[in-house]
Amino acid sequence: MLMGGLERATSGHLQAMGHDLTALNEDALAAFRLQNMGVVFQSFHLVPTLTALENVALPLELGGISDAFARAQEDLIAVGLGARAHHYPSQLSGGEQQRVALARAAASRPKILLADEPTGNLDGVNGAAVMDLLFGLRDRFGATLIMVTHSPELAARCSRVIKLHDGRITDEGI
Amino acid sequence: MSSFALKLAVRELRGGLNGFRIFLLCLMLGVGAIAAVGLVRAAIESGLKSQGAALLGGDAALKFTYRFASDAEKDWMAGQAVRVSEIADFRSMVVVSEETGLTQIKAVDSAYPLVGAVTLTPEIPLTQALALQSKLPGAVMDGVLVARMGLSVGQSFMLGTKSFELTAILTQEPDNATSGFSLGPRTLVMNQMLKGSGLLQEGTMFDSLYRLELPQGTDLDVFKERVSQRWPDGSVRYYDSRRASPGVERFVERMGSFLILVGLAGLAVGGVGISSAVRAYLDGKIATIATLKTLGASGRLIFQVYLTQIALLAGLGVVLGLCLGALGPMIAAPWIAASLPFPVVFGLFPKPLAEAAFYGMTTAFLFTLWPLARSGKVRAAALYRGLSHMVRPGVKDILALLTLSSLLVGGAVYFSGSVKLALGAAGGILGALLVLLAAAFSLVHAAQLSLKWRWLQGSPAVRLALASISKRKSESISVMLSLGLGLSVLAAVGQIDTNLRLAIERDLPDRAPSYFFVDIQKDQIDGFLTRVTGDPLVSKVESAPMLRGVITKINGQKPVGSVSEHWVVRGDRGLTYAATQPAGTTLTQGTWWPQDYQGVPQISFAAQEAEEINLKLGDTITVNILGRDITAEVTSFRNVDFSSAGMGFVMALNPAAIAGAPHSFIATVYAAEESEAAILRDLHKAYPNITAIRIRDTVARVGEALSAIATATAWAASVTLITGFIVLIGAAAAGERQRIFEAAILKSIGAQRALILGSFALRSALLGAGAGVVAVVIGGIGGWAVMHFVMEVAYVFEPISAILIVFGGALATLLAGLAFSFRPLQARPANILRTQD
Repeated sequence: MLMGGLERATSGHLQAMGHDLTALNEDALAAFRLQNMGVVFQSFHLVPTLTALENVALPLELGGISDAFARAQEDLIAVGLGARAHHYPSQLSGGEQQRVALARAAASRPKILLADEPTGNLDGVNGAAVMDLLFGLRDRFGATLIMVTHSPELAARCSRVIKLHDGRITDEGI
Repeated sequence: MSSFALKLAVRELRGGLNGFRIFLLCLMLGVGAIAAVGLVRAAIESGLKSQGAALLGGDAALKFTYRFASDAEKDWMAGQAVRVSEIADFRSMVVVSEETGLTQIKAVDSAYPLVGAVTLTPEIPLTQALALQSKLPGAVMDGVLVARMGLSVGQSFMLGTKSFELTAILTQEPDNATSGFSLGPRTLVMNQMLKGSGLLQEGTMFDSLYRLELPQGTDLDVFKERVSQRWPDGSVRYYDSRRASPGVERFVERMGSFLILVGLAGLAVGGVGISSAVRAYLDGKIATIATLKTLGASGRLIFQVYLTQIALLAGLGVVLGLCLGALGPMIAAPWIAASLPFPVVFGLFPKPLAEAAFYGMTTAFLFTLWPLARSGKVRAAALYRGLSHMVRPGVKDILALLTLSSLLVGGAVYFSGSVKLALGAAGGILGALLVLLAAAFSLVHAAQLSLKWRWLQGSPAVRLALASISKRKSESISVMLSLGLGLSVLAAVGQIDTNLRLAIERDLPDRAPSYFFVDIQKDQIDGFLTRVTGDPLVSKVESAPMLRGVITKINGQKPVGSVSEHWVVRGDRGLTYAATQPAGTTLTQGTWWPQDYQGVPQISFAAQEAEEINLKLGDTITVNILGRDITAEVTSFRNVDFSSAGMGFVMALNPAAIAGAPHSFIATVYAAEESEAAILRDLHKAYPNITAIRIRDTVARVGEALSAIATATAWAASVTLITGFIVLIGAAAAGERQRIFEAAILKSIGAQRALILGSFALRSALLGAGAGVVAVVIGGIGGWAVMHFVMEVAYVFEPISAILIVFGGALATLLAGLAFSFRPLQARPANILRTQD
């Protein structure tokens, strides 16, 4: 949350992509996320009033991309949801919602993908499918994936693992 | 209702009234407005009743038209009463050098006033003020006329051909409220002082009134019967202190009923808020209901528990509303009393309070029954799965809804005393709600469709706003209904008010004559016509003999039922005679009598009014003129246009029937404005007894009266609007959590605050403007219906108030929306999104 600029640090400094996130206001943080980060949440957090396609196109529209919808459609196809493009979040299963959230996070081709317990609300099969997609997106777009997880199996798929216990780093993984 | 249900209901309410603020506010305002209007009406009625004798000027009064009572009639009255006072009431002209002004003269005797007191400035007794002063007889005059004529106490003025000295300014007249709508301010003189003034000649239009102080304990019903036996032809109008001012009472009764029904529209708007509040409350209670159900509670018990809660809360809202309604008139009492020409007795009258409570409770149950019915029917498992919205109320619930609606409409009919008015209002409110509902669904659908427009791609703020309108259906509908109904009432008032003004102030003077001249004597009419027709600036002159008479019988029978209530039959009417069919008169049926017809009297009746009182050719009408009954056969119907303010008589007879009766002439003069002063001066010099009534002044007076009615209606409508605004705030507050969540997501994917705010603002403005547009359409239809069917004048759509209403609707929703957008904008996304995980 701090890394994504979604939370404010109570003390100290936070540097990301050459920006001091602690010095940026709300709007500057939003602009920073738009240009550099895609965030995936445990509870998906899609805009409930928008269709899957509109949700994915939203960050592209915010970035002023002219063919936002065509690109969003491609990204939805890439996560296997081309046929569900015009469905609302409430009409999708949890796994499908998280796949839309992945497509949305990756839509603006961010340099960093932040994933906060992305499989926490999914069953084993859907969770595995989502993780495959997430790692696939990371590889396809050459992004850095930063993931928060309780799963040792998922952590094992990452190049570096930092362990935290009660809010303190117990292993820096270097 | 089981006591267990009551126990459970009370336990649940211990949690506080948090979710019920809007519920209570809506109910309180609606009930408060209705109670306030009802209490003011009751206060006026009570004032009129308690001061009946003073307002009437005696215990009973007899009114003669165009004549004084004969000696025999006076003797009869003297035999019945302890004291009798004679008054003549008529219009005339006050003249100060070259200036003339219309006045309503009251010529009184030394017994006046039998009841109450006249207040003068300086404070001198009335008898002293009206007595012969050093040279001239005294007179007192209303301050408005004194100022208009540039007079001061001690100066003289003329009435007819006689001079009077102004001895004091009339500040209060105890019996003024019974005089009705008068065009000229009052002048009081002693009746015997009018001798030699040339006024009150044979044929002059005047009323004579005899006020009677009856012996103590006189049964007024018995006395009324004695009067009708003494004047069986009905030519004398009877009044008594129980209903001193029937005209005022009728107006107050009707106006009060109308305003209460406007207030009912406010309660209907509140009903939308009440319904939303209860739905939201019950949605929040799903877990509790589920738990109760899994523990074995029946659907009936669940329904009873929440029905009890709603009943208790509705009761609280109604009580608060009644307190508010009672407090309002008490606070405004000094202002209300000062602005009315009759006494007002304020108090806590049970009937209007019961009426307001009835409307409040019925509306509360009507609008909560639907969500309540759902709560009892939801299965426990479905509740846990959040599928409560899939449950539909059954046939029994629909029947209960219909019963409650009928009860509400039935109550409105009972309390308003007018089936037509109550059904019209109920139909109007229901129709407006249905149109608004249809419009809300259309707007939601249109928003959904417009999301597919390619050109909106790349405009995320607009698309988010449209998506929000289309997907948050219940909030959109709630806004459209609540704001739309309030604005509709206001739009209708605006359209009607403007159209009436247009018809009276703009259109009428173009078609209406400049002056009406009355009391032109037979020997004056030729000279009068020579002066006005010879003036090149006069474009048209019409004159006719004029008498007044009361229709006492139709086909030999006293009019009964709705016919007796018709304006043509209710009072004394002007009538004329003509040997030949006047130029420009169109007969719709029958034929005009031969030029020198001498047979059985014949009458030509106004076609539309004849239809309204079911007259046919060959029917007979008995008209009492100056105490004499004349029965005439209806031989023709003719078109009469009363809307032009020109000369129009409901009844015209053949000359032989009435020409022998004392009468005068009236004339209308259509002249260029610059010639009016000279015509008036010349005519007054030659014929000082003639009274000139300037149409422009009359139009202004009517305009003032209309303006007061429109203001009262706008006040009642504003309660509807305020309630609508509260519902709007309620809807915005209810949507705040959702907006906080949406804003957090949008921020997390890079949306800046301006874009989010723009989207929220656009959504609010679109909904408000939508409600405004629909309100203008409904108001326009309402305005057209009133103008077309009730006023029977052409309707013109009035754009300025319409634009203001659309703009106002958008602004109100925008403000309410923005007020609840700041928290979503300031909230940190992490805090919000984490709580959802």
